[in-house]
Amino acid sequence: MSEAGETVLAHGVGGSTDLPIPLNYALVGGVWALILTFAVVAVAWRTPKFDPAKPGRALPGWVTTAVDSRPVRSILAAAALLVTVWVGIAAIWGPQNADNALPGSFYVLLWVGLVAVSVLLGPVWRVISPVRTLWGLLGGKRTGHPPRGYPQRWGYWPAAAGLFAFVWLELASPDPGSLGAIKLWILAYAIAMFAGAAVFGSRWFARADPFEVYSMTVSRLAPLRRNTATGRIVVGNPLDHLPTLPVRPGTVAVMAVLLGSTAFDSFSGFTGFRNFVDRNAAGVPLVGEAGGGSAIRTVGLLVFVAVVGVTFSAAARATGGVTREQRRELPGRLAHCLIPIVVGYIFAHYLSYLVERGQETVVRLADPLGAGWQLFGLDSGDVVYVLSLNPTLLWTIKVACVVAGHVVGVLAAHDQALRVIPVGHQLTGQLAMMLVMVAYTLTGLYLLFGG
Amino acid sequence: MRRSTLAVFGVVVALVGSGCGSTATPPLESSASENAPPLTSAAGVPSAPPQVGTLLPVSIAGGTVTPTNAEATAVAGEPITLEVNSDASDSIHVHSIPEHVFEVQARPGQRFEFTVEVPGQVDVELHDLNRTIVTITVRPR
Repeated sequence: MSEAGETVLAHGVGGSTDLPIPLNYALVGGVWALILTFAVVAVAWRTPKFDPAKPGRALPGWVTTAVDSRPVRSILAAAALLVTVWVGIAAIWGPQNADNALPGSFYVLLWVGLVAVSVLLGPVWRVISPVRTLWGLLGGKRTGHPPRGYPQRWGYWPAAAGLFAFVWLELASPDPGSLGAIKLWILAYAIAMFAGAAVFGSRWFARADPFEVYSMTVSRLAPLRRNTATGRIVVGNPLDHLPTLPVRPGTVAVMAVLLGSTAFDSFSGFTGFRNFVDRNAAGVPLVGEAGGGSAIRTVGLLVFVAVVGVTFSAAARATGGVTREQRRELPGRLAHCLIPIVVGYIFAHYLSYLVERGQETVVRLADPLGAGWQLFGLDSGDVVYVLSLNPTLLWTIKVACVVAGHVVGVLAAHDQALRVIPVGHQLTGQLAMMLVMVAYTLTGLYLLFGG
Repeated sequence: MRRSTLAVFGVVVALVGSGCGSTATPPLESSASENAPPLTSAAGVPSAPPQVGTLLPVSIAGGTVTPTNAEATAVAGEPITLEVNSDASDSIHVHSIPEHVFEVQARPGQRFEFTVEVPGQVDVELHDLNRTIVTITVRPR
C-alpha cells in the first residue's frame, strides 16, 4: 500500500465537508416540522387513505414492455458489469493514492447514487447487480433447486449486517480511504454473496445483498411502481407505495443502520467527540492507537444504530388495545414510515457529495490509470462545485429534505396507525411514534447545525 | 443523542413561545488570527502586505502537536498561513478542494500559505502523528 493510501480521509474521499447549516435554518426547519406534525394529528383523517392496491396512473404500454424486456435488462446488467470492471481496473492498475477512482465510486456513486436512482425509478440494483449478473453467467440460475431453502427467520438480517459492515468501513474503520481496505471489503462481499447463493440460490441476493436491500427499501418511496393487478408500470402517490415494504425479520434493523449511521457521521465530526477519541484511543488494550480510535468509533456507531432501533420499536409498540402477539408485529408494520425520514436525511447529508464528489469521481474514471487520458474530454477543471459555492442554496435544500422526509413519514405513520391500531386507541397509540419522529428530525437538524 | 434532542426541542419551544423572529448569525465570526499571538515575521519580509486572512500557529514537539481539533474560520480566496515549529519531520494534509500537502521539517519558523476557493469545512491533519490539527470553516466571500 502506498504512503498516500494511508492518509485518513473524511468518508474515504478527502476534500472538505459541508459548512454547517446556520442556527436560524435549523430553527426554522424544526418549527416547521413541529407545526406540520401537529397539523397532521389535528386534521387526523379517521379512515386509512393510502393503499398499495390503488391503480395509479398507467404509463404507456411500451414503458412496461421495455422494463420487462429481457434484452433491455441484459443490456443494463452488462453496462453495470462493464462499469464494475472499469472501476476494478482503476482500483488495481490505477494510481495507488488519493487520485484513485475506487473510493469515490464506492462511497459516493454506489452508496449515495444508488439511493437517488432507486428513489426515482425503483429497485434497480436487482437488475444491474454485478454479483447477480456474474452468478447468472456462471450458470447459477440453471442449477435448478438450491441445496437449501433460505431460512425465513433470517429475513433481512444478513443485509442489515452487510449494511453495517459498509458504514463501519466508511465511518469507524481505522482508515476509510485505504484502497487496500476497500478492496478487501469488496472481496469479502463477493465471497459472501457467491457462497450464500451457492447454498440458498438467488433468493440470497434479495435478502442478504446490502445494496439490493438498500435499493429495494428506498424504492418504496418512488413515484413509479408496478400495479400488481395488471402488471403495468404506473405513476402514483409514493404514500400508496410505501406500505409495500416487505415486513420480515430485520426490516427495522435495516432502517436503524441507515438512519443511525448517517446521524453518527455528523456526530463523529464534533470536536468534543474527536477529542474524546484522541484522548482515549491509546487506552484501548491490544489494538494500538489507530485500532483504539476505530474501536471507540465502532462503539459510537453501534450506540447510534441501537438507539434508533430501540426507540423506534418501543414507540411502535406503545399503544393500548392490542394482544401481545399484535404488539410484537407493530414495529415491522410501521417500519416503512421511516423510509422518507431516512431518504430525506441521507440527501440532506450526502447531496453535495453526490453532486460534487460524484463529478470528481467521473473525472477520475475518465482517466482510470492516471495516464492523462481525459476520455470524453473530462478533466478536473470541469467539476462544478455548485452547492458548496452557494451555501444558502445547499442549506435550504438540506432543511427542506429533512422537513419533507419528516412530514411524509408522519403522514405514513398516521395512516398506518389507523390500520394497525384498534379503534379507540388510535390517537393515543400513535403519540409515541409522532414524538420519536419529531425527536429524530430535531436531532438531525441539530447534527446538521453542527452542535 | 437524546439530550441534544431535548436541547434543540427546548430552544425551539422557547423561541416559538417568545415569538422571536430569529435572525441569529452563527457565532463564528472571530478569526483565528485574532486569537493568535502577534507574530514577528522572522525573515523580515520587507514588502509584506498587512496581514489579511488567517494565521494559525502550530507546534510539534516531543511527539505531540498543539493544537489538536481546534476550530478556526477563514474566507474563501483569502490566504491561510500555517506557522509551524517542529522538532520532527512529518507532513500536513489540508483536506480542501483541491487538497494541499506540505512537508514539515524539523525546524522552527516554517510557513505554509494556501488559499481555499471552495467554501466548506477543511480539516488540517498531521499525517504521521495521525491527528487533526484544526478544522477551518471557510465561508464564502
